[in-house]
Amino acid sequence: MTTIAVNSSSSVLEQKRISVGRFIGFTILAFIVLFAFLTPLVWPVDPTKQSLRNVLAGPSWSEPLGYDHLGRSMLARLAAALRLSLGLAFLSVLTAAVPGVLLGILAAWKGGIVDRALSILGDVSLALPGLLLVLMLTAIAPDSPWALYVGISLVLWIEYFRLTRATTRTLITSPAVQASRLLGFGPAYIVRRHLWPEISPMILTVGAFGAATAIMAIAALGFVSVGVRPPTPELGLMMTELLPYYEEAPHALLQPIVVVFLLVLSLNLIAGRKAR
Amino acid sequence: MTALLVADGVCVFARERIVEPASLSLHPGRPFTILGETGSGKSLLAQAIMGTLPTGLRAEGSVTIAGQRLSLASGQAHRSLWGRVISVLPQEPWLALDPTMRAREQVAEGYGFVQGLSEADATRRAQDDLANLGLARAGGMLPSQLSGGMAQRVAFAAARAGGARIVIADEPTKGLDVARRDDVIALLMREVAEGGGLLTITHDLELARRMGGDLAVMLNGVIIEQGAAETVLGNPQHAYTRRLIEADPAHWPDGQPRPATGKPVLTAEGLGKARGGQRLFSGQNLAVHPGEIIGVTGPSGCGKSTFGDILLGLLPPDEGKVQRAEGQPAIKLQKLYQDPPSAFPQRITLRRAILDLVKRHQLDAARIEPLLERLRLAPELLDRLPTEVSGGELQRFALLRVLLLDPVFLFADEPTSRLDLITQQETIELLVELARERNCAVLIVSHDTELIRKVSDRQIRFGADRPESPSGDQRMPEDALA
Repeated sequence: MTTIAVNSSSSVLEQKRISVGRFIGFTILAFIVLFAFLTPLVWPVDPTKQSLRNVLAGPSWSEPLGYDHLGRSMLARLAAALRLSLGLAFLSVLTAAVPGVLLGILAAWKGGIVDRALSILGDVSLALPGLLLVLMLTAIAPDSPWALYVGISLVLWIEYFRLTRATTRTLITSPAVQASRLLGFGPAYIVRRHLWPEISPMILTVGAFGAATAIMAIAALGFVSVGVRPPTPELGLMMTELLPYYEEAPHALLQPIVVVFLLVLSLNLIAGRKAR
Repeated sequence: MTALLVADGVCVFARERIVEPASLSLHPGRPFTILGETGSGKSLLAQAIMGTLPTGLRAEGSVTIAGQRLSLASGQAHRSLWGRVISVLPQEPWLALDPTMRAREQVAEGYGFVQGLSEADATRRAQDDLANLGLARAGGMLPSQLSGGMAQRVAFAAARAGGARIVIADEPTKGLDVARRDDVIALLMREVAEGGGLLTITHDLELARRMGGDLAVMLNGVIIEQGAAETVLGNPQHAYTRRLIEADPAHWPDGQPRPATGKPVLTAEGLGKARGGQRLFSGQNLAVHPGEIIGVTGPSGCGKSTFGDILLGLLPPDEGKVQRAEGQPAIKLQKLYQDPPSAFPQRITLRRAILDLVKRHQLDAARIEPLLERLRLAPELLDRLPTEVSGGELQRFALLRVLLLDPVFLFADEPTSRLDLITQQETIELLVELARERNCAVLIVSHDTELIRKVSDRQIRFGADRPESPSGDQRMPEDALA
């Protein structure tokens, strides 16, 4: 028994130690969030206010990130766009994860017809191309962020559902759960002590990937001018607007690109698979 | 008699030395057995000799195989010997076989790739080998179609196909019931009788006794005793060896069966159950009286665990019914599991799990302390995860957990089959003592007939071969084991 005990305790230590990649990811994300939410407090400039004198002006002390093609503050626009992207991504992950996890547990627990029906629903939603679904919704309700976010959630929930269902199915038949039932514990206890501790680390991983996907989707839709409409600052839309001026003001075009890159990188680092 | 294999001063290092220098010699026609409990280092010693230590570990010393002296410190020289001179019969061979390959092909690979025979020759030789082992008709079967014993023989044929004279058998009886174990012993002994070398690693005292030949007993990385098996087992010198032999259920003191008294706490009438279209048992009657210990034995797959689960209401019976005594809630019927780590929530500490139970049923938390002491469990262990305590300790925690509920009936499903002999004895003794003290009836299921005979007041035997039942009211199922 001694070797087994030694092995298991060392693996526990490994689990608790946060990986370098994850740490870098969290740090980048923290900086981006701070930037997005602190900027309007220390730099209260309206992101839609134009001043044609400053069109495409480079960075200066009074305007650290310069101006865009309509003389709007890039700093203010970037911060506003990030708030929108982060908010939408967070909201869509939340609205995808909550029903996904709950339905996954329900399907695995009840089995039979409930399981079949929910699985078919998931398969059907997955068969629809995700982007098409979002395009359809934005066509029905143009220029409304909620259409974007409902569309993205509708695509994302299936991942949480399938993952939760598969994990719960094996756990629910385990002797540990049987023992807890015999000892008089109800479903709430089984979810809290048996299922949630096993599912939650996976949800964090999938959630971070999902947030990255959502941010890319919002930016991609903005880039093809389907998402939010001007003058709302949005990362993808900013790229489209600034693309014609890439020669005159490369710094302006690069800013939204770098921000999307850093945001997606940080989320992927957080989600990244643990090195074994 | 020249030795097939001589190991000289073999030791294994991780950060520090974990297997002390050990020397042994393996002679043709004379089996050598290394006996030790889990974590004693017996598998590491065998892996060092074989040259298959996992990465992170290194060995020192030397091994002489077929006249060729290999230094273990370099760790490379073994490769040319694998398969041709020395081979391993893996633990649980039904997991080691390729599930997508037919039995004959798996054996033929050894002839084809190790010995370099043509495909036709290899296949013919493989078929001959299988026929020799009574598997002539199994050549075209996939591993999933083989029974445990058949898979063991196929794996054995595959291990031998490279022409190896030395076979290392790692826990060959792990996961097998008694009948299968006898088959394996016969198979291994046949190899020995043909003049091969056999090194067996086991925790199974009975296997060591039956193999005979030479025996080494290992404890904490040290060979504490070594010699002819009859001498070591007949006249053990080391205290641990004596303790180990005493812990064998065959040497336990006979229990004092008590007559059943009082009103039954649980009655079952005409229980029957089928699984996968096969009748496991039918017409089973049982009345469980307070505080009595009922032993259930039978080969694996005969439905003895299913029977217990039906009594607890975990499974519905196909026929018949189970009735609890009036006024007894379902919570008073509890179960002890075969694999203790899988019976606890994995990610919370034992203290949390036990306090949750106290809170759920508004029990008196002050009862935990004396129970811990009674079960000889250190209170510090409460702050560990289930995976961080030993199997024996965890099984006692499982016992503590159910005893908090003052059960009237406890179904112990092979509660010690994953534990070492000495731990098994301690656990069973505690279980019996506490059940007597608290007047809790126990239905104990085990494949070990000796254990059941020693502890139980009466027995039920499942599976066909010898229907016998002291209480006379149980009808035995027809051959339930396919």
